[in-house]
Amino acid sequence: MISTDATCAGTAATPKDFKSPLKPIWCPGCGDYGVLNALYRALAAIGRPPHEIAFVSGIGCSSRIPGYTTAYGFNTVHGRALPIAQGIKLANPELLVLVAGGDGDGFSIGGGHVPHAIRRNADLTYIVMDNQVYGLTKGQVSPTSPRGTRARSSVYGSMESPVNPLLYTLAYGAGFVAQGIPGDLDGLAAIIEEGIRYPGFAFINVQSPCVSFGEPDNQVKVQRTRMRKLAAEGHDPSNRLRAIELAQDYGQELYTGVFYRNPNPPPTHGSQVKALQDERKALKAGAPPALSETDNHPTCC
Amino acid sequence: MNDLIIGMAGSGGDGIISAGESLIGAVAAEGYYGMLTKSYGPQIRGGESSCRLRVSTLPVLNPGGSLDVAVILDWDDFLRFGSELPVTEDTVIIFDVKSGVDRTSLPLNALWPKVLCGVPLEDMAIKAAGVQQAKNSVILGLLAGWLGLSPDSLLAGLRKKFARKGDEVLQGNERAFAAGLGHARVNPLRRNLRLDRPAAPLKRRVIADGNELCAKGAIAAGCTFFGGYPITPATEIMQHLQTDIWEHGGVVLQAEDEIAGVGAALGASFAGKKAMTATSGPGLSLKTEMLGLASVTELPLVCVDVQRGGPSTGMPTKCEQADLFAAVFSAHGDTVRPVLAPTTVADTYGLTVEAFNLAEQYQTPVILLSDQDIAQRKEIIDPVDPSRLSLVNRLEPTPEELKDYTRFRLTPSGISPLSHPGMKGGNYLAAGIEHDEHGAPTANGEIHGEMNHKRLVKFLPLRQRHDLFVMEGDPDSPLGIIAWGSVAGIAQEALRIVRAEGLDARLMIPKLLYPIAEEVFADFFAPLTRCIVFEQSHQGQLYRLIRMWVKVPPQFESYARSGANPLSPEDFVSQIRKLSRAGLRTEHADRADFLNPL
Repeated sequence: MISTDATCAGTAATPKDFKSPLKPIWCPGCGDYGVLNALYRALAAIGRPPHEIAFVSGIGCSSRIPGYTTAYGFNTVHGRALPIAQGIKLANPELLVLVAGGDGDGFSIGGGHVPHAIRRNADLTYIVMDNQVYGLTKGQVSPTSPRGTRARSSVYGSMESPVNPLLYTLAYGAGFVAQGIPGDLDGLAAIIEEGIRYPGFAFINVQSPCVSFGEPDNQVKVQRTRMRKLAAEGHDPSNRLRAIELAQDYGQELYTGVFYRNPNPPPTHGSQVKALQDERKALKAGAPPALSETDNHPTCC
Repeated sequence: MNDLIIGMAGSGGDGIISAGESLIGAVAAEGYYGMLTKSYGPQIRGGESSCRLRVSTLPVLNPGGSLDVAVILDWDDFLRFGSELPVTEDTVIIFDVKSGVDRTSLPLNALWPKVLCGVPLEDMAIKAAGVQQAKNSVILGLLAGWLGLSPDSLLAGLRKKFARKGDEVLQGNERAFAAGLGHARVNPLRRNLRLDRPAAPLKRRVIADGNELCAKGAIAAGCTFFGGYPITPATEIMQHLQTDIWEHGGVVLQAEDEIAGVGAALGASFAGKKAMTATSGPGLSLKTEMLGLASVTELPLVCVDVQRGGPSTGMPTKCEQADLFAAVFSAHGDTVRPVLAPTTVADTYGLTVEAFNLAEQYQTPVILLSDQDIAQRKEIIDPVDPSRLSLVNRLEPTPEELKDYTRFRLTPSGISPLSHPGMKGGNYLAAGIEHDEHGAPTANGEIHGEMNHKRLVKFLPLRQRHDLFVMEGDPDSPLGIIAWGSVAGIAQEALRIVRAEGLDARLMIPKLLYPIAEEVFADFFAPLTRCIVFEQSHQGQLYRLIRMWVKVPPQFESYARSGANPLSPEDFVSQIRKLSRAGLRTEHADRADFLNPL
């Protein structure tokens, strides 16, 4: 068994409860180690036992992360973590469902799924480890690479503008949008916890550096000197327009913290499904089971 | 007569389909069996439309061949359907005199029907109801009179249909119906079309199509999750489930695309629920990667493919059996997944349940390969008896096994207990990446070989599933016939015709198409010297698939035709007769040259 379920009722959970015996195979210095540690802390603070957590990912270096936790993990195919996670959450709304992946997974091959998870307000926490490069395939431009990036697939410089994950998700209508860095473990753990607690779709962009193929001026230690905490800047996370304004600086300013938290979250997809199921069950209570309805099919147009 | 085929054609808005639905409702109420197929031009909405209704005192096996009655509202529209509405000189032709066509100017390629019946349909409609839209009610009146149907059942149908449109519309249509009925009474046809009275039905019968019974079968099987995307001709499965599933604690997710639909279903299965997706050819292509993920993670999943003409967009409204190769082979890596094909509307119900059972039993994706014909034709059928169903649920770990749970444990059967989130101690990593028994990623060749073996060996028991094959005819005959899907019903009728002529043959209808049930085929082929496979694809896909796996009889032939070209019992009968004469090859003998156009 690669995972254990150590949390017992009555004892407070610790980060260790969520750590699987599987040893991460990320490069030394990879930002994803910090994300994993922040996640352990956040999950301990939330306190749900690992067997009540489903952790879904796509493909890429960062998508290995579910295997490093003791939760039920599903390391799926490239770009499709969000639809699979929504199926899990709708099938069993009691579960805590986490989704993780890289910027290629979320904003290139799987980019079409993001707006729909958001407009349904699927009650998921989606952590994107955004390193602006395809690391697993050894250094090609990614959807968040700055224009002009010289990479193995763009030796003369890339010609596309980057996707802005913060602005996109805000524009799609996400109720919770935040950004963190692995160098600020406390801050990152706090926003992951807050994202999980948010009733609805929570998007967390982590600027998680690629030590092998990333830019030298965007590594864990350098990021710490560049980061600007939104709370310290006096940003009010209920101000969506200001959040959109700040989000436009993606790629230039390294803001961390919560950009936007909807003070009046709309109903989640799951809660609407539950309400409809209850309503239909109540209406059908006492009626013959649906199977015999075949017999009652109208025999006329 | 006890078997009658009526074809009708007109422009969209003429109410042709609606008239067909009224008729099948009326004949069902009178105790007949029937089958209604609809056909449209190349566009899914708009353009010409047609339907054909086959009515019989016995269960109807297929839409039949040439028409006994053709109702033609517009000649151009009618002619566009070509071989879908074939007429002979015995066909009674009923048409609107307003078209100006008469016996001297029939656009029927020098075919001279014995009974040609011009009726002022539009004038009668306008006179009775004030609008030409009531033409279809005039037609219903005419047919009630000429076929000897009870006006009461048709009028009851009209009342139901127009109830919401107000008294004026209803009364107009009632007058149009009466006008048609009166016309038929004073103008008897020169060919008698009156149907024998049916034996009184023991049970109330049901009118349903394959897509509806697929949805109902899914619910009966315990499906509580559907993820899908609208696509012709599979959409109705989602629509029916969207009405019914919630009260069973289920969910329908109309996803943002085909991939998300199957992905969400796979997620629901991972979470412990029975889940389904449904699509047609283009969607199956898109879902392929996710089906591979279901295979490697050994998660149950039912994927319905309602086949239409392909490749690519192909012919969305037409039937074809050309997705067999895609259903069987479209995944990378060494995977096998069961492929099932229903043969009738009623069969779709039980086979959908079977698809869920196989998926749960073997922890695998299963493809239910329906087709446009079965999915969208309406049949009058005896009610399905759900008490005869047995349901299979996935093997879950015992409390003892959960103490040291190993998700992908190598077992002799290949099946290992499957936990789901929420089950304490069952935590594991499901992954598309190759894994060891514990779910940990691996690139070890030995483990990969063992895991491939595990994922294939579990299907071995399917080789003996004789119950998923229908056999008819003489078990000792040296002459064999194979047909599947909607084509099976045509072959059944052809077999009955040749047997009535004294020619014995043996028919096999496989409902399990893959993995090839080698034992069942070997048993079937043993006494045969000659065998023919009937199917609606250009290459003869089942014919080729069988040849990959089983030693075939000395003379093994394919009679296969591209979709949208209707196959008829008469057509098959002539092929069987040819095959019965030693040494003679059938029309499409040796399909090695399948690139030759038919």
